[in-house]
Amino acid sequence: MKLRWSNIVPHVILSVFSLCILLPLIWVLRVSLTDKLTAYKIPPEIGHLGLENYVEIFSTYPFERWFLNSLVVALAATAISLPLATAMAYAFARFNTGGAFLRLGVLASQMLPPIILVLPLFTLFFSTGLMQTHMGLILSHLTISLPFLSWMLVSFFEGDSASLEEAARIDGATRWQAFIKIAVPVAAPGILAAGLLGFILSWNEFLFALVLSGASSQTLPIGLASMETHAGVEIAPLAAATVVSLLPIFALLPFLRKYLIKGLSLGALK
Amino acid sequence: MIGISGTGANAADRRDRRFGYAMATPSLLVLFLIILFPVISALFTSLHDYTLIAPNFDTFTGLTNFKLALGDAEFRHSAWLTLRFVIGVVALEFLIGFAVALMLNKVERFKPIYYAILLCPLLMNPVIVGLIWRMFLHPNLGIVNYLLSTIGIDPVNWLGDTKIAIWTVILVDIWHQVSFMIVLLLAGLSSLPKEPYEAARVDGANAFQCFIHITLPMMRTVIVVTLLIRLIFAVKTYDLIYIMTRGGPGTATDFVSYFIYRTAFVSLNVGEASAMSIILLTAILGLTVYLYRYMRSIN
Repeated sequence: MKLRWSNIVPHVILSVFSLCILLPLIWVLRVSLTDKLTAYKIPPEIGHLGLENYVEIFSTYPFERWFLNSLVVALAATAISLPLATAMAYAFARFNTGGAFLRLGVLASQMLPPIILVLPLFTLFFSTGLMQTHMGLILSHLTISLPFLSWMLVSFFEGDSASLEEAARIDGATRWQAFIKIAVPVAAPGILAAGLLGFILSWNEFLFALVLSGASSQTLPIGLASMETHAGVEIAPLAAATVVSLLPIFALLPFLRKYLIKGLSLGALK
Repeated sequence: MIGISGTGANAADRRDRRFGYAMATPSLLVLFLIILFPVISALFTSLHDYTLIAPNFDTFTGLTNFKLALGDAEFRHSAWLTLRFVIGVVALEFLIGFAVALMLNKVERFKPIYYAILLCPLLMNPVIVGLIWRMFLHPNLGIVNYLLSTIGIDPVNWLGDTKIAIWTVILVDIWHQVSFMIVLLLAGLSSLPKEPYEAARVDGANAFQCFIHITLPMMRTVIVVTLLIRLIFAVKTYDLIYIMTRGGPGTATDFVSYFIYRTAFVSLNVGEASAMSIILLTAILGLTVYLYRYMRSIN
């Protein structure tokens, strides 16, 4: 290959860009492995590296509880929304149920800023005793995952299995059987990927948890935010907690690669 | 779907429609309960003098809360700040994102590596993004000011200076979200047909002319959809502000979502906060209708 400017320039720019993204993440990892004093040294020293901060977040902070709360709330919200959204998306895609009006309604629900919902939910939860409970938090997360999944899944049902379903119907299958035995299995990879994205949306949610959760139902983002204010400037354990909180997302990323574009563009691009 | 005679088709159509509604009903019921009902209740609250000190609907005040909100200099300030922030992040992320996407579309070698790296910030929690950048941008103990000092630049008070803070938040948002633009624009670029470019090259067009006359027109709907989605999400920005600046210093980064939060939970004036959130809702709905029309035109 000939070495030419037009070949090198993009690589130089892309490398610089990649470093801008990557270096902060590497630095967080490095801070999480140093001891507390070294973490503050300016100019920075590498010093001793170890896992003490990771032990500390579990022993000094209720990190385990935050993590479990996040997991329970995100899993429950996703598990409730996924079947509901699958059924509605199928109705939208196959029978055009509700037409443009309902579709627009679902998209609008998804675009709704959480601050608009958190005020009425706050007063409603107070009068119904759902305040500070896991149940309340799960309900509030449904406002994010249910519209997102309903909207996303429509495009997974458009096209693919319609002719298969029709053949099954001619052979005497009911509409429900055509849905559950053909449409759902064909769309299963997409449904699962959408479910993972829905899980991540819930995992990252902050405002509902901030206003509606209590000490026992606090999720990870709230816990992390409180770590910073309580411990003043203890950045080493905070960095360790950050790394652990990122792990589930990075672990799920490879499974999402194929569906990421669809997920980010809300189904508009493939 | 599979009717044979005329009346049979009608009966089947009717049953199709009924089945469709039966499938959608559970989800619609839940959406009604957790979204539509709360929105209506916010609308109701916005018409009353409802505070957290006197949480009752005894005093109907009509549109007073809306008048107060629109006349409130702080609310107008926060709307203006939000507008500046949204235009800033969307424009800058688009320009950087499009440039990177064009380059990624050109290169073959290392492309999977670049792509894998840029995916990293994409699904990160905004709270974590805010926390790590606060750590880096600390005026005395942060790594950023240290690195700047090694090339002779004086320390910058990134989050403490009223003039700089909003730009700091914009920069951090770019780090977090620019990959969104790259991923979607690259998807658009890589699905463009090759023939128009070959024809243009035969006619002697240079790369810049190709970009202006072929790439941009063909990318139009992808660009509009990408910009609109990012725009709507940028209006919602809350977490980053809560973590990095709490709207400060002073009110330098007091965006609408955060200001509504403060009005409700610090000033305890839920009625007026509800009026503000209804105003915000109207703006978002307008943008969403526009987005919906564009999304239909893609498929």
